[in-house]
Amino acid sequence: MDDLRAVNRDVGTNATKISARGVQVHYGDTHAIKDVEVDIKERSVTSFIGPSGCGKSTFLRCINRMNDTIDICRVEGDIRIDGDDIYDRTIDPVQLRARVGMVFQKPNPFPKSIYDNVAYGPKIHGLARSRADMDEIVEQSLRRGAIWDEVKDRLHAPGTGLSGGQQQRLCIARAVATDPEVLLMDEPCSALDPIATSQVEELIDTLREKYTVVIVTHSMQQAARVSQKTAFFHLGSLVEYGDTDEIFANPKDSRTESYISGRIG
Amino acid sequence: MTDIPSGSVARTTMDMVRGSLSRRHRKQFILQALGITAISLAFLMLFILLASLISTGHKAFTQTEITLEVFIDPEEISAERLPRGNFDDVLAAALAADLPSVDPNDRAAMRVVGGILSNGAQFQLRDRVVADPSLIGQTIALSVPVSDPYDQLRKGLLDRETPESLRRLDDTQIAFYDRLIEIGAITSSLNTGLLTNADSRFPELAGLKGAIMGSFWALLTCFLISFPLGIGAAIYLEEFAPKNKLSDFIEVNINNLAAVPSVVFGLLALAVFIGWFGMPRSAPLVGGMTLALMTMPTIIIATRAALKAVPPSIREAALGVGASKQQVVFGHVVPLAMPGILTGTIIGLAQALGETAPLLLIGMNAFITSAPATPFDSATALPTQIFIWADSPERGFVSRTSAAILVLLSFLIMMNAIATYLRSKFERKW
Repeated sequence: MDDLRAVNRDVGTNATKISARGVQVHYGDTHAIKDVEVDIKERSVTSFIGPSGCGKSTFLRCINRMNDTIDICRVEGDIRIDGDDIYDRTIDPVQLRARVGMVFQKPNPFPKSIYDNVAYGPKIHGLARSRADMDEIVEQSLRRGAIWDEVKDRLHAPGTGLSGGQQQRLCIARAVATDPEVLLMDEPCSALDPIATSQVEELIDTLREKYTVVIVTHSMQQAARVSQKTAFFHLGSLVEYGDTDEIFANPKDSRTESYISGRIG
Repeated sequence: MTDIPSGSVARTTMDMVRGSLSRRHRKQFILQALGITAISLAFLMLFILLASLISTGHKAFTQTEITLEVFIDPEEISAERLPRGNFDDVLAAALAADLPSVDPNDRAAMRVVGGILSNGAQFQLRDRVVADPSLIGQTIALSVPVSDPYDQLRKGLLDRETPESLRRLDDTQIAFYDRLIEIGAITSSLNTGLLTNADSRFPELAGLKGAIMGSFWALLTCFLISFPLGIGAAIYLEEFAPKNKLSDFIEVNINNLAAVPSVVFGLLALAVFIGWFGMPRSAPLVGGMTLALMTMPTIIIATRAALKAVPPSIREAALGVGASKQQVVFGHVVPLAMPGILTGTIIGLAQALGETAPLLLIGMNAFITSAPATPFDSATALPTQIFIWADSPERGFVSRTSAAILVLLSFLIMMNAIATYLRSKFERKW
């Protein structure tokens, strides 16, 4: 808990990438997200923290409309990426998800080869004109996922044969292969051991050069280590949002303070 | 609890745990013993079934034959009159040559001699002569099946001790048989006719070819109809259909459909396919369509279960990179569910292969002596052939019925083995 120092807080000048206004999410009769307003900065890492069931994952899944696949889920309010309302009727979720990549809690590579895992996104969106093009995309994505050196000799081995940490980096590589602008990560390290976790965290730090990263995490140390902005969710509401070092050093809300000092959670 | 003395003081938690331990162990022991008993009983039943089938059926896998030196007498058979000719007289004459006690001019005795041979023998000879008319005037060696009573006699199913008046062969006939054994004319060979002949009134000629082909055409039709329809319905219901009252209603009804007695499907097919649509009776096509009605719910249920078993993380992964619903389903979910779908389909088809009642109703229990060349020809199927043979009075059909059951069972075992193989080969670990 002594590692709550935050790293390079240089996001002040960045423009807003994602802006949410009055977002409400209902699961059947449950009011899961209550009136969330947040502005997420471009090319930065923003972490969502909060106790289990506070709605942080639900809100994350609103950003690429993954909640659309759940029948009983209703999303209201306004979420914009670069000013475009992503819940507009003219926006196709398929197109949106090419723009907003996602990495899940449990590494979930397809039961295909490493190459095919990464190539799948570009293939369905028609991003590669030739075989060589695709090879290029796959290599570049695997390099961005910091896993190229480990797998370059066995690109056609099954992705499910990798270790947990490698699988998760493969999933990150798969997510960046469609060249998205935003990367959503839903507790990407919760199934990984400490060494794999630190590798993924390092990777997240490098990803912010190119992408706007939003990460949901249970670990406050992780939020402190990788993110510039932190949002604290509690019981479906966004309680406090600000620079990560501010949130951890002197939280304004008593609930935030209780959470980060370990009294709720 | 009772093994702790009531006078004991300060019972610790450990004592209480120990007290309940023996009871818990006993319960587990009883449960395991019951399980083992149940499995043993099931195996015993299976063993009895197979043992009785094999003990009666194995006799049908051999066939008693008689080897004759046949002089193809040009006076009886002339090349101009082919394929007609007195082939039976030629055969009887050849037999009489081996039986010195018979006067070739005694017509009644010659009829008895001719009766030793199967009725099919003359056709076998005719086919050879028609194929090669130059045989006329020559002497050829010919192996032909003996008729059923003599076959039974060799297999020990006809008791010589029975009073002559109650026996199917009288003393003279048995004497003929013994004489033929003596000169080594009678042999026993593998009964290939069981698989290569179609049905016949004569047990020694009856085979399963017609039934196997009938079952093949019916199953092919059943597969071609039920596989695409069943999978299509299952994919739509599981992946695309909105979850509402109507889809619940459909789901309940599909499950009910799987439980409808097969004879009801047979009546339905009789009324609709044959009655309204005027499709041919006894045709494997109609049989296959009827079986498809029964197989479809099985395939739908198995496919839905297989689709459900694909982990949601795979769907999320595909959706997450921007795959459309259709791409998720056909690119990831269906291929991963395929082993389960195929297993369900094969098990559904295996059920269809053994189904009898609906086929009886659409007339696939007719007596048909040629194998169907197309699904539109009249035919029987394996289970209905068993039904027909089981109903036939000739003794020879008793063992043939068991043999046919063994053939059907081996087809079923083969299909289930394929299903098991597919499941283990394509099974994935997550």
